[in-house]
Amino acid sequence: MDQIIAMAAKDLRLLLRDKSGFFFTFFWPLIYAVFFGFIFSGFGETPHGMRIAIADEDGTERSRAFVKMLDDSPELDVVSAGRQEAVDLVRRGKCTAYLVLPPGFGESREHMFQRQAPELQMGTDPSRAAEAGMLKGVLAKYAYQSIQDAFTDPKEMRKQLDEARAELPNDASMDPELRRALLRMFDEMNRVMDASPPEQRGLRGWEPFKVKSVDVAVQWEGPKRAFDYTFPQAIMWGMLACTATFSVSLVTERRGGTLMRLRTAPLSRWRILAGKGAACFVMTAGIAVLLLAIGVVGFRIRPSSYPLLGLAVLCSSLCFCGIMMFLSVLGKTERSAGGIGWAVLMIMSMFGGGMLPLFIMPSWMRAISYFSPIRWGVYSLEGSIWRGLSAGDLLVPCGMLVGVGAAFFAVGARAFRWTD
Amino acid sequence: MLRLNHIRKTFGPIVAVDDLTLEIRRGEIFGLLGPNGAGKTTTINMAVGLLAPDAGTIELDGSDSPARPAARRKIGVAPQTMALYDDLGAEENLAFFGRLYGLAGRRLAERVAWSLDFVGLTERRRDRAKTYSGGMKRRLNLAIALVHDPMLLLLDEPTVGVDPQSRNAIFDSILALKAEGRTIVYTTHYMEEAQRLCDRVGIMDHGKLLALDTVDSLIAARGGKSVVTAQGPDGEVRIETDDPLAELARLRENGKLAHFRLDGPDLEVVFLNLTGRHLRD
Repeated sequence: MDQIIAMAAKDLRLLLRDKSGFFFTFFWPLIYAVFFGFIFSGFGETPHGMRIAIADEDGTERSRAFVKMLDDSPELDVVSAGRQEAVDLVRRGKCTAYLVLPPGFGESREHMFQRQAPELQMGTDPSRAAEAGMLKGVLAKYAYQSIQDAFTDPKEMRKQLDEARAELPNDASMDPELRRALLRMFDEMNRVMDASPPEQRGLRGWEPFKVKSVDVAVQWEGPKRAFDYTFPQAIMWGMLACTATFSVSLVTERRGGTLMRLRTAPLSRWRILAGKGAACFVMTAGIAVLLLAIGVVGFRIRPSSYPLLGLAVLCSSLCFCGIMMFLSVLGKTERSAGGIGWAVLMIMSMFGGGMLPLFIMPSWMRAISYFSPIRWGVYSLEGSIWRGLSAGDLLVPCGMLVGVGAAFFAVGARAFRWTD
Repeated sequence: MLRLNHIRKTFGPIVAVDDLTLEIRRGEIFGLLGPNGAGKTTTINMAVGLLAPDAGTIELDGSDSPARPAARRKIGVAPQTMALYDDLGAEENLAFFGRLYGLAGRRLAERVAWSLDFVGLTERRRDRAKTYSGGMKRRLNLAIALVHDPMLLLLDEPTVGVDPQSRNAIFDSILALKAEGRTIVYTTHYMEEAQRLCDRVGIMDHGKLLALDTVDSLIAARGGKSVVTAQGPDGEVRIETDDPLAELARLRENGKLAHFRLDGPDLEVVFLNLTGRHLRD
């Protein structure tokens, strides 16, 4: 055991003296976690709604009230502008859409029983169809809101009914049967209003449906903070760098002659490989612990379970020791071992959630990710940080990590070239 | 100390070592001589357990086999390549390899200090090996072979690529080790090194042992005659003789000796006579 510890200590000392190697195993992952954590947190941004430009060509009290209603809404951020300026704002990408309230818009709101609805002009960038659809929905919402506001005022409602009733005989184009039906309806509505107690007159208190509000935040299954998923990814990057570094170091030892010297020492071959594996394990686990400590202290990561997090780190480190052993047999020279190793690790990372968080991957990519050990590493770390997985839930990812690591180590140790 | 019995090793169609039998005696410096590709390094690698012979047996210190890891504690190897860690200092390199051989604590510290002192690297012990000259690296390579205090030392071309000063320092070190009673196997293709250091010499070529004896005996048996080249009034004369002193006296009496050069037989000639070609061919 002393010999294995001595070899591991020697490898760790060599890695710590290799400035570029240590940068990529520790500082690069830390930079990654912090940088993307801040980006995904919306650092430096204040929350705002969809930015639209409105050209109020009507300029009446009602049109101004409508613009204010939109501006006060949480969904929209309104910029008042002339028609041409509004168009330019959209063209330059400063606004998602523009809206023109034409002359007569306010008057039309006073004659809501008129059959001709006011025409709003909405201009959008065709490439932002989804946002245009959302904007139509938001406009419809506030249009109905203004109608509801009008009808909950008894005076306003009676005024609208009286005006509509007075205009009906003047509409020569209307079918007489329809005109008679509308007159009967308006008379009945007036009688209903007369018979109702004052507090229930109009549509006061009427709602098309009741909405029960629920707290969506507690049902959100994603991470609470961006750092909750950038740090697991960063830990994977640190482990990848350790893996690549140690796989190359085995080739370096072979080509430099020190492996031959180790073999002339009173050591069995498995002890030599165990020493290298132990160094890789200590380094990967150490990097993970260091990054997590920084995450907890500096970036408010609050793991749901520290013991399970330890288990996830342990299993991930074991897995990457095995991968290190396997990668060391893929290249004859340091350069080829490094190149092939990083290529394999990059592909694993790409499909395993090392670059994109698993929860935002498309479904086909998530399906492929099951073949990457990085996926299981990220999942087990996330499971004990923000997914709230139980020990039973972690059995599968941890089992996969240990199994994959053992298989890779066995294949690598068997295929390892002891001489050039 | 080390006995090789009819060992054979092939690499594909190439026969690297062919039916080699020899015994290294305790306390001697044994030179294994031959050109590059003669099979010296393969023989050394089998002797330390790095390679398993295809046929034959190797006995270490009686009946032990170097294939057994524990038996290798008795052997120290200085390979031809600089097998050391460039980013560690001499002291760290020695301490690391000492630990692999089971040294620890005070004993380890003593052996590291002794090894550093023995090869003259005490002052530079903390400097990283990558800052050393070629000769210093060779000396460190030798020190690593010595740190665990082995009785048998296998030195594979230990003076390749070193300056004359370091070469002499290595020679002095090897002779000092012999004086301590250690057994040394020394491979080289420099005949003058073998003549200077070795008690006995084995000459190899194409994997076979062509001759095995003391340097003097080999020269006497296979070295041929001395050559006296004399410059006199009649010009230069070249005389092969078994008794060069008598021949020189005769030339002087005849008044035919203004200048002379005497070339005695050496291992180079022995090798030439054995193989028909020079060692460095």
